[in-house]
Amino acid sequence: MTRDKHDEARELTALGGEGLSDAQRAWLQAHRDECEGCRQYAEAVNGVVRSLRSLPLAADSRLVRATQMRVRFHASRLRETRERLWLVGMACLGVGLSATLSVPLLWRLFAWMGEWAGVSTLVWQAGFMFFFIAPALVVSMLLLARGAHLTNTGERSRQWRRES
Amino acid sequence: MNAIAYCFANAMESDASAIARGLRRRDPDLLDRLIEQYQHRLLRYLIYLARNRELAEDLFQETWIRVLERGYQYDGKHEFSTWLYTVARNLTIDYLRKKSPLSLDGLMEDEVHAALEPADTRPMAWEVVQQHEQAERISAALVSIPTEYREAVVLRFQEGLALEEIATVTGAKLGTVKSRLYRGLHMLMSRLEGAQA
Repeated sequence: MTRDKHDEARELTALGGEGLSDAQRAWLQAHRDECEGCRQYAEAVNGVVRSLRSLPLAADSRLVRATQMRVRFHASRLRETRERLWLVGMACLGVGLSATLSVPLLWRLFAWMGEWAGVSTLVWQAGFMFFFIAPALVVSMLLLARGAHLTNTGERSRQWRRES
Repeated sequence: MNAIAYCFANAMESDASAIARGLRRRDPDLLDRLIEQYQHRLLRYLIYLARNRELAEDLFQETWIRVLERGYQYDGKHEFSTWLYTVARNLTIDYLRKKSPLSLDGLMEDEVHAALEPADTRPMAWEVVQQHEQAERISAALVSIPTEYREAVVLRFQEGLALEEIATVTGAKLGTVKSRLYRGLHMLMSRLEGAQA
C-alpha cells in the first residue's frame, strides 16, 4: 500500500459516504478490512460526527418570539410603503393624463386672456408657466414635510427595536 | 420504490413552491412557521460562523428580515434551507467586512477562541455532566479551526446538507468543498487529540 491510497481512503471517509460510487464503496471497504490505521480513522471520524450532531446548541423561545414580532412589524411597514407608492403612482398617472388633456386648452385660454387684457406675449406665457408650476411647488413642499415625518417614524421604529 | 421516491421528490418540490409563493406574498404566518422550523439549525450555523452567540442572535433576526425583504428571489426549485443558509452567510460576511475590511478569517483572528456555552445549564447527573464537558471540548475544537473548514464541517455533519448544497451556500466548487471537509475533519480531530493529551 502506498501513502496515496491511505490518503484517498481518508478523503472518501471524510465525505460521510456521500457521492461515492458502488466501486468506490467496495474499494473503501476492502481497504479498511486490510488497513488498521484507516479503519481506526473511520471510527474516529464517526465518533467526532456523532459528537457534532449531539451538540446542544439551541435557540431559545425569547429569540424566536422577538424575531417573529420584528418580522411582522417590518412586513406591515413594507406593506404600508407599497400601498403608499401605489397611491403616489396612481396620482402621477392621473396628473399626467389630466395635464396632457388640459395643457392645449389652458394655453389657448391664456392666449385669449392675454389678448383681451392687452398684455405682451411674454407676460401671459410667464403667467401660464407660473400657473403650471405652482401646484408642483406646493406638492414638493408637502412631500418634504412628509419626508421629515417619515424620518421620525424610522427613528421610532429603531427605538422600538432597541426596547424589544 | 421508485414510485415512493417520485412521490417524496414531488412533495418536497411542492413544499418548496408553496414556500416560494408565500415569500412572494410576504405571508407573515408562513414566516412565523419557517422561523420556528429552522430556529435551531440556523442559529447553530450562525454561532459557528460568527463564533459569538450574541452576534449570532442579532444575525439570526437580520437573516429573517432579509428573507422577508428578498423572499421573491427564492425560486422554489431548490431546498429552502440552502437558500436560507446562503442569505445568513452573506449577511455575516457583510457584517464582518463592515467591522474590518480584511478577509473573513483575518477578521476573526482577534476574537476570543472560547468554547461556545451549550444552551442548557441546569444541574445534571454525572453522565449528563460528562456529555456537557464533551460538548464543550468539541465546541472549543470547532471554533479553533479556520472559518471555511469549520463552515463545511458544520453544514455537512451538523446540518446534514449535501455536498452540492454546501457548494451552493458557500459559492465554492465541489472539489473545494470536499477538500475543506477532509482538512476540517483532520484539524478537528488533531485538536481534540491535543486537548485529550
